[in-house]
Amino acid sequence: MIEIKDLHKSYKMGSNVLHVLKGINFKVEEGELVAIMGSSGSGKSTLLNILGMLDGADSGEYTLDGVPIKNLSETKAAQYRNKFLGFIFQSFNLINYKSALENVALPLYYQKVPRKERQEKAMKYLERVGLKPWADHLPSELSGGQKQRVAIARAMAAEPKVLLADEPTGALDSTTSYEVMDLIQKINDDGNTILVVTHEEDIAHMCKRIVHLKDGIIVEDKKIEQVRAEQYV
Amino acid sequence: MFDRDVWQEIFNTLKTNKLRTFLTGFSVGWAIFILVMLLASVNGMENGFYNQFNDDATNSIFVRPGTTSKAYGGFEEGRRIQLENDDVEYIKQSFPEDVEYISARYYANATARYKDETGSYSVQAVHPDHQAIEKTLVVSGRYINEADIVNKAKVAVIGRKVAEDLFKNEDPLGKFVEFNGLSFRVIGIFTDDGDDNAERRIYAPISTYQRIYKNTNDINMIALTYNPTYDISTSLEFSSRLEDIMKRRHKIDPEDQSGLYIFNYAEAYDNISSFTAVLKGIGIGVGFLILVAGIVGIGNIMVFTIKERTKEIGIRKALGARPSQIVNLVLLESVFITAISGFVGLLFAWMILAAIGPTIQTPAFSNPSVSLSVVVTATIVLVIAGVLAGLLPAMKAANVKPIVALSDK
Repeated sequence: MIEIKDLHKSYKMGSNVLHVLKGINFKVEEGELVAIMGSSGSGKSTLLNILGMLDGADSGEYTLDGVPIKNLSETKAAQYRNKFLGFIFQSFNLINYKSALENVALPLYYQKVPRKERQEKAMKYLERVGLKPWADHLPSELSGGQKQRVAIARAMAAEPKVLLADEPTGALDSTTSYEVMDLIQKINDDGNTILVVTHEEDIAHMCKRIVHLKDGIIVEDKKIEQVRAEQYV
Repeated sequence: MFDRDVWQEIFNTLKTNKLRTFLTGFSVGWAIFILVMLLASVNGMENGFYNQFNDDATNSIFVRPGTTSKAYGGFEEGRRIQLENDDVEYIKQSFPEDVEYISARYYANATARYKDETGSYSVQAVHPDHQAIEKTLVVSGRYINEADIVNKAKVAVIGRKVAEDLFKNEDPLGKFVEFNGLSFRVIGIFTDDGDDNAERRIYAPISTYQRIYKNTNDINMIALTYNPTYDISTSLEFSSRLEDIMKRRHKIDPEDQSGLYIFNYAEAYDNISSFTAVLKGIGIGVGFLILVAGIVGIGNIMVFTIKERTKEIGIRKALGARPSQIVNLVLLESVFITAISGFVGLLFAWMILAAIGPTIQTPAFSNPSVSLSVVVTATIVLVIAGVLAGLLPAMKAANVKPIVALSDK
């Protein structure tokens, strides 16, 4: 599903050049649930941004579902993001004046799905994350866990190939974190490919594979026995 | 454009920033208000000027004699020129194609008396053609005709005011009224749109008055109208031909400006048209400059809005919004604020003009109003203004990098 070869990325900070990714080789199969771990500055967020086409690499190859991702125009990148990727953010990034339902329907809007169909689909995904009764609520009327579940529903609404989660539990307490991870595990059980960036050991162990980043290179890549989050809920 | 999602967004930003939106919109509304008022004022001046001419045919030319200022053809300077009946005939025969109506005028004053009522009025002794030249509206009876001229009949067409003054409630038609002791029969009553003063006038056959005054052939001036199909340049060309021929006839130096006065309304019209065109230009110029300030204000506010919404735009881009969709959103919002506030300004200006415009009727300023074309133009200007105001901020928004917008850690 995802294939990365010798990926390099550096940032210019004034006169200094900060080499963030120093040759990443990495492959993700369909249906995997991968945790990307590392301390801050290890390059994990940069890697996720490149995977999410929010940022471009300096060199190296990136193939997503057989499509080479290179030199994309803004418009093309927007189309690919919409078609291939679903984002889940640490701070949820819901649009605060739109109801839960409208937030979930937004990616479908950019797919030019007709309004009615959009709402039906959005409602289906809200139901899946257990928030159907909150469909008309604004984000400000929801708890942190609920907000993240809305965000997950939104990421899934466009039926992307890959879900990218950047510290999805970073702003949540542990009980809520486990609830969210439980949801992510269940979505993965349905066959969705998910990448989770985290620095929390327990969250990482709820995935099926852990990729350890340090100073811009992968130092460890291992499959693990998944810890089900269900038991903590 | 008619997308509910887009409008929801626009209304939300406007709602959360009511005061800011109002203040920005006010600058544009104010600009349009001033623009419309300026144009309406120019329009009012134009109306005022044209009203001055209203009671005369616009294709008229007046020939007045003067006093020469140059020696010419054996005559010394300072010679008074006198027009005579022959001059009318001469013009008629010289320009059969050009002249539509022609009439001489002989001025006199009359102390009129009917029973116990007396009054002093100016008399214009004229030919029948004069009715068409002066656009005299006869409301009852008839105007002077050829038979009156031939018979030197003592008949008079009196103005409405004259009739009111002298005859009170009586019907003047057929009654005899004394002018300086001579008895004239009233054959008609006229009104004049132009002003009340014109209705204090009396028309009489020119031949009658010339006989009364020493059996003379003298006339004071010649009024004529030219072929109404002539445009301005043809009419000016005609009046210069007329001037040449009349100067030659009266042995006036062609360069002499004071021997003979030819007054062509077309020329005056032309002058006034260019004068009001310049005023209009100034009005539009000033209005636009004020509007530019308004546009800059809107642009400024849009830049702020974009800055505040950077994160939201980042989210949208991450979810797959194309740059063009972001640009559209910003432009539409900008056009919306501009158009709505502009229309409010337009509406206010229009209401004020509709309320007080018709009550303003002074000689130099009358019924200021805006035409439909001004409204349409203003609308187009507003939409363009909105696009211009939103363009820069929209580009800025489209260039928002989602990664920057979303970095919140």
